[in-house]
Amino acid sequence: MKFGHEYEQALASEGFPEQWLGSAIDYKYLKKCIKKVHRELEGLGLDKETIHRLSEPLSQPENARRPSIGQHDFYSAEKPHLDSIPEEFTPQLRVLVDSATGVPLDAMLAPATRARLQKLAQSELIAARRQAHLGHHATHEIHEPATMELTKERTNSLTPDAQDAKWITIPLASAKAFFDLLGPKLEELERLREAETGKLELEIADLGAAVENVVEPVKDGFEAKRQVSYRDLYYWREMFRLYLENPIFYSNLEQNAGALTFSEAKSRLEAYDQQLRSTGLLAKMKTPAAKQAAKQFLDLNVDILKIIRFQEMNARAMSKILKKFDKRTHLEGHQFLMDLRTKYPALLPSQPVPGQKPTGGTVGFANSIARDLHAEITSKVLGIVPQIDDWTCPVCYSMAWRPVSLGCCRSLYCIRCIIKLQDDGHARCPTCNADTVTKADGRNIDFEAMDFLEKYFPLETKRRQKENEKADLARSYGEEFVKPGCEVM
Amino acid sequence: MTAPLPKRIIKETERLQSEPVPGISAQPHDDNARYFDVMVEGPGGSCYEDGEFKLELFLPDDYPMCPPRIRFLTRIYHPNIDRLGRICLDVLKNNWSPALQIRTILLSIQALLGAPNPEDPLNEAVAKQWKENQPEAIRTAREWTRLYAKKG
Repeated sequence: MKFGHEYEQALASEGFPEQWLGSAIDYKYLKKCIKKVHRELEGLGLDKETIHRLSEPLSQPENARRPSIGQHDFYSAEKPHLDSIPEEFTPQLRVLVDSATGVPLDAMLAPATRARLQKLAQSELIAARRQAHLGHHATHEIHEPATMELTKERTNSLTPDAQDAKWITIPLASAKAFFDLLGPKLEELERLREAETGKLELEIADLGAAVENVVEPVKDGFEAKRQVSYRDLYYWREMFRLYLENPIFYSNLEQNAGALTFSEAKSRLEAYDQQLRSTGLLAKMKTPAAKQAAKQFLDLNVDILKIIRFQEMNARAMSKILKKFDKRTHLEGHQFLMDLRTKYPALLPSQPVPGQKPTGGTVGFANSIARDLHAEITSKVLGIVPQIDDWTCPVCYSMAWRPVSLGCCRSLYCIRCIIKLQDDGHARCPTCNADTVTKADGRNIDFEAMDFLEKYFPLETKRRQKENEKADLARSYGEEFVKPGCEVM
Repeated sequence: MTAPLPKRIIKETERLQSEPVPGISAQPHDDNARYFDVMVEGPGGSCYEDGEFKLELFLPDDYPMCPPRIRFLTRIYHPNIDRLGRICLDVLKNNWSPALQIRTILLSIQALLGAPNPEDPLNEAVAKQWKENQPEAIRTAREWTRLYAKKG
């Protein structure tokens, strides 16, 4: 009751777009449906206690799909339980009855219940016989509410009582109504996820282009532009570095990898916003285009947060209502969710493995939204501005300058670090252990990487160059290394 | 050492503090940033489980061109660790690479606790016992862990 209220309020007050609200789960109405199911079951004589006593939780989805012939299954199926049909989830009870009399084969049933079920079974047996005459259309009738159906006939020689046992299924019309309501909602939520993710991906691509436009240093023939964007490049880098340091929607940290919940993401976004304000990064941006793009970046994050919030709330509503359903009816409503997971892969990573501590990650479609969009932003926007950490030398941890590639692996080293390795008699590549250090010479300078670093890290390049020169002079290693790289400045 | 601390050491230290490795800690001394107090937990499932081993680690002047110097301070019964706490581990000797770090070296040491190698012994007596009567050796290692490496 408390959740229902909270849910409705959140939906109404958090400014979600109109068309999203249409896809939201109708918690209140579903609750009413549960009441109806409850009444229907009681009408069958199956009150809460009876079902509780008889129903056995279905641990394996396969069991629910198809009654198998195994001995074990005979016993479990002796008790009525909610069954599901692969394509369309139709809640129904399955009861084992005597084929002649229709007496339910379960000693635990109260007499009244037994009589009621027998009556249902008998009428069904007659109907089934009639149908057998007409042809084998029985299976097509499975979804018809309020009819009973003979699904399986078999005998079990081991149990004399069950010699003429037959399976009858009792479709539960009201439970069907419940799931008919819930199912399409999920489909709508999935469509919404797809549409919104697609929309946001376009926005991300758009933003990527905008960022590229304002940070791309040195555009041929536009020396003036360089002066401006050259500073902005550093502001953007810092802005993105902070973002990467504390990702908002998805954590890469070993300890708690995975999508973050809405409330975690929200507080992270707020902290990020605060950081940008306190460092004055936004205010420092020189060009209006850069300012505009920065605003766009923040807005995009807010939009992503919103859809995550919406999906997360719906996922919670779904899981709460199913829990309620199970509690009130003692039918296995959760089976429904399991079936849906195979239908909507985006829902997949949500449920924690039983017995394992829940990771505290987000649930439902929110999870895949967080993951997908985080990946999009990382590759299409953040990737535009290279970070220094990706260009450091594995030996000295400073920017690899001048960059030397030994050709054995993709590591880039400082030229001075390689010289030092050679002097110290290290023959092998520090990263991959190949015997390449001794052979390295001026030809190993990676000019492509050099151009790149010069372009994107002009300040670092200048500083490293000076350091190199100083060290080179001091040690006087030889002509080709002493020569200052003037062209670099 | 009057020379300023290399950037590499500063960065490594920062990262050891900000993203510590579970079961391992390394704290530099205030008066000597090249000298670290190290604590390594015995790996789960090994005979050093539930032990907390203290080590000292020193970064020589030419680090990372040469490996850090590491020694166990806590007594330990292990075929590759001698009575002075010195460790026989390839990456601390010939197989050192400047791309390795304090972090990776300490992980290697932790792994060595999980996989003692009596074929390449530093402590002959322990290695002999390890080869001839392994259950007894493991019992002793457990006992020593309980005696000398108790947590807390």
